[in-house]
Amino acid sequence: MKKTFKKGMIGALFATAALAAAPALQAQETVKFGLFHDFTKVYTFVADEFSQGQRDYLTLINEEGGIKGQKFEAIVRDHGNEPQRGLELYNRAREEGAIYFMFLSTPVANAVVPRALQDKVVLGTPLHGRGDAMVGETFPYVFPMMASYWSQAARLLKYVEDTQGGLKGKKIAHVHIDTPFGREPLPILEKLAQQKSFELRAFAYPSPGNEQSAVWSDVRRYRPDYVLIWGAGNSQMVSVREAVRNGIDPSKILSVVWLTETDMKNIGESTAIGVKRVEVVQPGRDHPIIQRILDKVYKAGKGAGPEARVGNTYYNYGVADMVIATEGAKLALEKFGPPLTGEKLKAGMEMIRDLDTKGFMPPVTITPQDHQGGGQARVSQWDGKAWVPVSDWAAAYQDVVWEEARASAAKFSQAK
Amino acid sequence: MFYRLSGVHHTRYEDTRRLWPIPADRRLVAVLFLLALSAPLWLSELYLQNYLLPWLIWSAATLSLTLLMGVAGQLHFGYAAVMAIGAYSAIHLVRLGVPFELAFIGAGLVAAVIGCLFGAAALRVKGLYLVMATLAMQYLVDWVIVNVPAISGGAHATLQAPEARVLFFSFADGLTRYYFAFFWAVFMTLFLLNTKRTSFGRALVAIRDKDYAASVIGVSPFRYKLLAFFSSSFFGGMSGAVLAFCFYRAVTPEQFGFNVSTQLVAMVLVGGLGSVIGAYLGAAFVLLTPMILSNGIAALSDAGWLSVSANLLAHLPLMIYGALIIGFLLAEPLGLAKIYDNMRNYFLVWPFKHSRR
Repeated sequence: MKKTFKKGMIGALFATAALAAAPALQAQETVKFGLFHDFTKVYTFVADEFSQGQRDYLTLINEEGGIKGQKFEAIVRDHGNEPQRGLELYNRAREEGAIYFMFLSTPVANAVVPRALQDKVVLGTPLHGRGDAMVGETFPYVFPMMASYWSQAARLLKYVEDTQGGLKGKKIAHVHIDTPFGREPLPILEKLAQQKSFELRAFAYPSPGNEQSAVWSDVRRYRPDYVLIWGAGNSQMVSVREAVRNGIDPSKILSVVWLTETDMKNIGESTAIGVKRVEVVQPGRDHPIIQRILDKVYKAGKGAGPEARVGNTYYNYGVADMVIATEGAKLALEKFGPPLTGEKLKAGMEMIRDLDTKGFMPPVTITPQDHQGGGQARVSQWDGKAWVPVSDWAAAYQDVVWEEARASAAKFSQAK
Repeated sequence: MFYRLSGVHHTRYEDTRRLWPIPADRRLVAVLFLLALSAPLWLSELYLQNYLLPWLIWSAATLSLTLLMGVAGQLHFGYAAVMAIGAYSAIHLVRLGVPFELAFIGAGLVAAVIGCLFGAAALRVKGLYLVMATLAMQYLVDWVIVNVPAISGGAHATLQAPEARVLFFSFADGLTRYYFAFFWAVFMTLFLLNTKRTSFGRALVAIRDKDYAASVIGVSPFRYKLLAFFSSSFFGGMSGAVLAFCFYRAVTPEQFGFNVSTQLVAMVLVGGLGSVIGAYLGAAFVLLTPMILSNGIAALSDAGWLSVSANLLAHLPLMIYGALIIGFLLAEPLGLAKIYDNMRNYFLVWPFKHSRR
């Protein structure tokens, strides 16, 4: 009995090893995108919706006949936020011919950056990865594509400046998770605090941020005019709850992109009416692109997940990521023709000028110098049911952002 | 049969004291060594750089943790922090212009000194309390790295491994990275195998079994506990440097978080406490099984044999992985090394199972 068990175990091991070793024997007829996520560890709050949006948009493109006859294929895998697994996926997908990669995990993306630069394949890093990757000269194959965290922080301050008639003398608290991500906007905030002479104080709560009460009583004593909350996933919900409990007016809370309708429903729809967040893509279903997805993908039963998620904030971010990447692919195919390679796709991405998505995103312009796409964002407010925009798409204090990005990128090229 | 003993006569003391007295073991080791040495010739780039290379580095790190946990019996739940200190020290030293060979040793020294500092807790506390002390090290080191931009490398907390050469070979070359990691793993293996039979190793074992009794027979627990932490952290730091230069090539604090520490402890325990071959098996199991499982299951799903939601698809490998850990530990609580040992013992006398071993 024991022996057969052992034999069975060994057999099973060999079977899995053989499966893993079997290379995907498919001809290179589709454009392959490696869209990897952390479905199981840290980024679970965003991975499912984001990935569903990406896959649905690619399905939509394929249903509509592809681009110039080229169909798209998404390779979707879980890397569990572990760099070594991400690198394995990256190299495996590269052997299968993938030319565009996205990991939605900062540690994994950062480990891939030097390799992508060497292998000349496009690495999309929207809302994660190195913020200084917007400097196209230093990072020719890395595309943040959407407003970086620096631009987001700048956009929020610009909103305060515009609505309050200036930032002078204001007290602004930056309440953040104590990780590199939470600290990231600090250099920009500090520089702006000097320039615009407002008072800035940073409050850090320990990761993962499920317990923040000590920090928020400090924040209350500080009596800030505005509070920036900089976390992700559950810690954002805790921040909003604690802020409200400490008597901070919800309309004075300004959040990074990571705050959704689901989070607000979990907090209590009417608990924090008035909370503001920065957004880089329009949420909701009220848009032609989302309507096309519902029409052609979900009616045909080809959706990549539950239909209820369509139109959620992170779902739309996933769609937007693919809108930009496929636009780059289209321009590249128009100019260079198939088959698409990493170099062609990179050149195509850099040809995007004022990409018009009818308000789904701000107009995106990517150049060989600017890989951030212009850095435009807007502020929206929770009205108890949905996020309502309270400002226009605009880029803010890009001079400060670029100065910081160039300084940081210079350090990277030194190390190379 | 395979490990034939008949006809093997040791006529000199040196023969019996060899690392592998049985010829079959020696042949097996030689074959494995040659296979690994020639791996770039027969293994594709993908498997060389993403399976074999990290496996060797993690095995080396597990071996240095085995020295502490398996041989000296001191628990350490902050070992990723030790590796982080090594990785960051090596990168900063190379950036300051120190040649890699010296920076490599420097990384070990820095890690050893800081590791020793926290290891000093072991002089007073044992067991679970020592776990707490080493956990504190993990969190303190994490905190310092994240909060000191000069260490972490600025706002993005990503530090690129600079261009470096080791004995005229540049790390930009994949082969250099592989062979450096390979020889490092070989060195660690020989080091541990030999340490176990030196007076130092025996002193550590004495401390592990009962530190009070050890001090009665003249083994100073103060000295040997600190030495255990020093040497283990020294090599752990160096393994961290190898990891930074040969595999990640850019370090971020997340790569050395608490979850990595638990993985390292799992490698030691699943492999078999105190065993050299166990370090290799444990590292392979903890590091490679999740990759192989999730690729296998994704392949099944792509082939249409398995239709489940994307979310379940991502979690299925985790469930199987968990079940495998429980299964292996139920089948053999002493770890994978013991499973190998059982098989070896079986073949040692096969087909005369009834005979004395």
